[in-house]
Amino acid sequence: MKKIRMKGKTVDEAVAAALQVLGGEKDKAKVTVISEGKPAMLGVLGGADAEVEVALSEGLAEDARKVLQEILDKMVFMAMVEGSLEGDRVELKIKGEDMGRIIGKEGATLRCLEIIVGSILGRQYGERVRVGIDADGYKDKRNQAFERLAKEAAKEVAETKQEKVLPPMNAADRRIIHLSLQDDAGVTTYSKGEGRDRRLVIAPK
Amino acid sequence: MKELVEYIVKALVDKPDQISVKETAGESITILEIRTAPEDAGKVIGREGRIANSIRAITKAAAAKQNRKVTVEILTDDEGPGKQSA
Repeated sequence: MKKIRMKGKTVDEAVAAALQVLGGEKDKAKVTVISEGKPAMLGVLGGADAEVEVALSEGLAEDARKVLQEILDKMVFMAMVEGSLEGDRVELKIKGEDMGRIIGKEGATLRCLEIIVGSILGRQYGERVRVGIDADGYKDKRNQAFERLAKEAAKEVAETKQEKVLPPMNAADRRIIHLSLQDDAGVTTYSKGEGRDRRLVIAPK
Repeated sequence: MKELVEYIVKALVDKPDQISVKETAGESITILEIRTAPEDAGKVIGREGRIANSIRAITKAAAAKQNRKVTVEILTDDEGPGKQSA
């Protein structure tokens, strides 16, 4: 988001001036009125300017990248963010120093950053935004390990014809396994249980 | 640390002008107190405290790099001692 605050005699005037500076159209901008202003009495006395904040989207991936970069800068971490759009999902990749701290124990800090960046973007866009964040290829490696585990378990289930219940996992990890087995000829997958105890089940076809 | 929390919280609420973050730094622990407009408290806390816990974890990670500990508290105005009679 490119953002600017602008004053003017009226709200409309202030918005028009802000859009001129940002170089955008009104229907793509998000306007927050900070002060309505009031006209001066007799044209001179006691008037107050209107003030608005106008935000203009630079595209979902770039808006998300900027939010995460700002957070990492304020954490005083030496890191750079790249952003791309994959379907309706924003994928952000972090490179630099302090990777261990950014990833956190078993990726916990990455997940917290996903929640915060997703919530901020969701607020800016007024709809749910899905954000995935990886640092130093951590999630790629982890996902590959999950895929291997899924394939091995699927082979076992197809041979024994017995369901296999995996340990509790979060939604993102279950998604990886569902996706990696969706075209498997011998098994299907589903989840059962609620909340933190939700587990993925691999069942023979 | 204060700037980090302020940036995140202001980006989450409807009334960023009513956000204040008070930082109290002890020898090794920093306490951050976030105050929001009453109607914005839910946006900073989130469902089952997800947002609040994420803010805490991110702030802790940043503090750990400087060998400091940090606690983050969220206060809402209607929890103030003087206003409970309403």
